[in-house]
Amino acid sequence: MSTATLQRDSSGLLPLWRAAQVFRLASLIYAGAVQWTVVEHYVRPLLSWAVFALMLIWSGIAAMLLAFGYRRRRQVVAAEVVVTLLLMASTLMVGGKNNYFDRHQTVPTTFWAANAVVSVAILLGPWWGLACAGLVGLSALAICNQLDNIGFDATLPILLTVGLAVGMGAQIVRRAREQIDRAIRLEAAASERERLAREVHDSTLQVLALVRRRGAEIGGPTAELARLAAEQEDALRKLLSRQAGVEAPVPVPVPVQRDLRSRLEEVLPTQVSLAAPGQPIVLPEQMTDEIVAVVCAAIDNTAKHAGADARSYVLLEDDGEEIVVAVRDDGAGFDPSRLAEAAAEGRMGVSKSIRGRVTDLGGTVDLFTAPGEGTEWEVHIPSTGAEQR
Amino acid sequence: MTTIMVVDDHPMWRDGVGRDLTEHGFEVVATADSVAAAANRAAATKPDVVLMDMHLPDGNGAQATVAVLEHSPATRILVLSASSEREDVLEAVKAGASGYLVKSASQAELVEAVTATAEGQAIFTPGLAGLVLGEYRRMATVPTGDGPDLPKLTDRETEVLRFVAKGLSAKQVGTRLGVSHRTVENHVQSSLRKLQLSNRVELARYAMEHGLD
Repeated sequence: MSTATLQRDSSGLLPLWRAAQVFRLASLIYAGAVQWTVVEHYVRPLLSWAVFALMLIWSGIAAMLLAFGYRRRRQVVAAEVVVTLLLMASTLMVGGKNNYFDRHQTVPTTFWAANAVVSVAILLGPWWGLACAGLVGLSALAICNQLDNIGFDATLPILLTVGLAVGMGAQIVRRAREQIDRAIRLEAAASERERLAREVHDSTLQVLALVRRRGAEIGGPTAELARLAAEQEDALRKLLSRQAGVEAPVPVPVPVQRDLRSRLEEVLPTQVSLAAPGQPIVLPEQMTDEIVAVVCAAIDNTAKHAGADARSYVLLEDDGEEIVVAVRDDGAGFDPSRLAEAAAEGRMGVSKSIRGRVTDLGGTVDLFTAPGEGTEWEVHIPSTGAEQR
Repeated sequence: MTTIMVVDDHPMWRDGVGRDLTEHGFEVVATADSVAAAANRAAATKPDVVLMDMHLPDGNGAQATVAVLEHSPATRILVLSASSEREDVLEAVKAGASGYLVKSASQAELVEAVTATAEGQAIFTPGLAGLVLGEYRRMATVPTGDGPDLPKLTDRETEVLRFVAKGLSAKQVGTRLGVSHRTVENHVQSSLRKLQLSNRVELARYAMEHGLD
């Protein structure tokens, strides 16, 4: 859908072109009123009516071509500048009684002549708009013999302002449109990449999971195959969950938010059981990182001390007011008084990495352990307070 | 003999799992590779247990669960989830699936889970307990308005689910709480039943709010 829009009007300037044609109509009405009022001052009134008729015809043609997305805008606009200059020059032939034109504007009024400046500015931007304003304005002054009055006459400043303002407006629209196009393309590319990744990886994960399972069952040398498949499956799964979190590189709002659940999924080894809600738990990035670090410290501790067969379980809960993370292993456990001893001896490993971090987040830590009973850390962290940090 | 249908869009996986189950004395009466095929074949074969993949070409496992139960209400559904599709898994459980396993589960775990599912037990892994807990917490934050109240967990049920989510077996939970493992299993089952009930309440509320009959 978006590509169809892009093809029809890639610049996004169509509304501006249409607005310009409303301006053209107003300028035409004004030119008509002026013509009606001052025609008696002309030497050749009939010729002035012919000039006005040509203005009408050209205005109609240009308005139709520019308002309805005609592809050759450049040619139309170039023709518009030439036609405007020629019609203005015809003033010399229309002539005015008692040097009428010395004090007035050309037969095509300055207001009408501004259409050429507007068109050039929309098409080519502020610099060309200024250049065209200079050309039209100076021509008007020259024709009316007002060049010596250049500092006092308002024609040139008005046209220059129109050229600059409309040109800048058009440039802003064009750049905004380019940015939108780029964003649309990025988004389409990202979602397509994600879709492909899902398709491809779903199949690959299936096969790896199958090899892992069958291989482990057959045993012997095939167990090695199963182990390799398991490693690849883990790696791919982590890669996938990371990729799912990647979004198009648009400017990121501050502060950055992260889903704690998918961050833990990425980081934790697959043999660790992660129990979590169905919905993402979105927190400020720094907070997410700290909680992940706490969980990792607890898991590392399990790997070091709990024994080879110990399994780790992580439970993640969010009740809207606080985040509760429990990390439990079913390993050897220990006498909690040993922690105090370790602290007294200056060994602060677990205490520092877990308690310190949680305290910084304004939370609390509970440790449940006993010899033979496994180890369980339960961390409570207020989620509302952290958002203001 | 327990009859099984395997729903998965990958032929290799269907064959592998089917062979495993056949070797362990189950009868694979049908396989299906889509939601539509699962519904048709469930109607024709009325399997005891359906092993359900979450990722199907014409929908997800939750939709397939609804379709299968509509055609064969007595069938019990065990979801096999390949990667992190938690919300889909939760939807399937709310729609009536009685548990889920991750696809990396071992053959022994799979056979055990299918056997338990056929006997009418819920496959309450720590992962499922986490999902169910999270869902009750989510429901507690939703304003109820005029509609019927959504079911809530009792404190004891919450306590039990938290233990299960932390990897304790029913027996271990029972020891901690000084109750029998049967009592623990009853708490777990009732949390799942209430969740399925909540799904019907939510659907009914949705229908009322949208003027459907």
